[in-house]
Formats: sequence, structure tokens, C-alpha cells
Amino acid sequence: MEKLYIESTKSTPEIRFDPVINQMYIKGQSYPENAFKFYEPIFAWVDEYIEQMEQEVLVEIYFHMPYVNTSSSKCLMMLLEKLDEAYQAGKKVMVRWYYDKENEMAMECAEEFKEDLTVPFEINPVEENS
Amino acid sequence: MEINLIDLQKKLRNDGILISFCGRFSQEIIEELGDAVKKYLETESISQNDTYNVFSIFIEQTQNIKNYSASKSSSPIGGKIANSGIVTIGKSENGHFVSSGNIIESKDVDALTGKLDIVSSLDKIGLKKLYKEQMKKEVQIDSAGAGLGLIDMARKASGPLKYSLVKLDEEFHFFTLRVNI
Repeated sequence: MEKLYIESTKSTPEIRFDPVINQMYIKGQSYPENAFKFYEPIFAWVDEYIEQMEQEVLVEIYFHMPYVNTSSSKCLMMLLEKLDEAYQAGKKVMVRWYYDKENEMAMECAEEFKEDLTVPFEINPVEENS
Repeated sequence: MEINLIDLQKKLRNDGILISFCGRFSQEIIEELGDAVKKYLETESISQNDTYNVFSIFIEQTQNIKNYSASKSSSPIGGKIANSGIVTIGKSENGHFVSSGNIIESKDVDALTGKLDIVSSLDKIGLKKLYKEQMKKEVQIDSAGAGLGLIDMARKASGPLKYSLVKLDEEFHFFTLRVNI
């Protein structure tokens, strides 16, 4: 399976999904013109990836997103639900969410996702600009 | 008649308006103005969190107008609606505000006020519940939005959402929304 790399823009995050090391990074703000269009190829990649995920391998997804608009939030929830299903089916998944420690909104956003999921979900403050 | 910019500027200042834009919202304009809002707020000594709250309400309002215009783009009145947008970001004694307006079709008024009335009737706990319910709904293919914008703005606002609808003629109303942060 191919890596998925999408460069960031002002309103879309950097996407770096690597099926070899089983890590996915999403970094940056997300408020595109059409969030569903932006996230569609990401959903397709994750669907295919989950299909071929091995039971014993730990898959990690990292988020560092200072701002997410409402339609992007909906897309992130859809993405997390896919991983949550994989986790419930016995696969090893870990969500790691980072936020700049002054940015309460990014923390609350993560907490609300976490409330509705069963997958292990870590929320970590980081010093700004790291 | 010559446009009197001094009067316009005075009017903006009197209303506490710091940034304003009027015309057609493109994604590029939303991004540029969004940056201007953020940069401006960073020079004020407010927390990063308040900056993001104002920024986020600015994005939701302008994208709502843009999405509404896009939903009418194939209609002959599409251009009139798209060109009718206005957004202002300002400061009052109670904090910052984002206020925006646009023309809507009169036949859409009831659906809009229905949504606004539901959102206005709820406290923060009720709004969170509604937000989560809406989050779980299937996405409508033809829509660029998730139907979460108004709920999210109400959750981030420091007081109730304020809105008005002015009838322009049988076919159109002008909708204004003001959110205090």
C-alpha cells in the first residue's frame, strides 16, 4: 500500500500516513472550502489500510490541530469512528492528540471526540510552536 | 455622487468595527480576512483561546454565507445572493463581536428562524447535546456544511445569538446575525 502525503495549505492540514511504520499524522488548521471533499481521499486510504491491518500491530494516529471548523470536525469524527471500529474488532489502535497548552479550544475539541469513542485516546499539552 | 469615505469611516468607528468586508465571499477572501482577524487580535492582549473563539465564529459565519450562496449558484438569483454578503468584526464594551449579513430567499426564512429558535432556547448543556446529535447525523451529499455552524457559534458565544430579518420585497429578506464573544 502507498503512503498518503498531502501538503498543508492555509486552510488544510498536512497529512502524512505511512502504512510501513503504521503511523498517521494530521497537523495544521482545517477549515477548507469543502471539508468532505478534502477528507474523502483520506477516508478511502484509511478504509483500505484498515482492511489490511494486522491484528498484532499497533497503529498510531497523531493529531496536532490548533483550529478545526465544524464541517472538518464532522470529518474527523468520521475518521475516528473508522479507527474505533477497527479497535472494537480487536485491532491495536492508539489516538494521540496534541494541543498547544494555551489553546483550550483544541483540548475541548479532543475531549468531545474522546467522550464518544472507546479507542485509547491520549490528550497531551505541548509548549507552543513545538 | 461621490462616496464619502470620511463618513463611512466615522460610522464604522462609532460602531466599534475594526475589520469589515462586503461583497462575494471566496475561500481565499475568507482565509485572508481570517488571518487579518487573528493578527489583529494577537496585538490586543487577549488569550490565545479568545483569539481562536473570535476566529472560529468569523469562519463559521462567512462559510455559512458562502455555502448558502453556493446552494443557489445554479439559480438566476444566485449572483444577487452571492454579492450580498457582509461581515464585520468589532469591539464593544462587552468584548468582541462578529456580525454578518446576506440576502436570503423569503422561502428559506422559516427554516432558518426555526433553527435559530431551537439554538436560542438551549443552555450550554442543551447545546452540547444538540451538537453531538447533529454530529452523528449522516452527511447530506449536496451540502458543503455539516449543519453544526449555528450550534457551535451559540456554544462559543458569551450571550445569546442575535439576529434580524428585514423584508426587502416578496422574494428576498436580509438576514443579519450578531455573535458576541
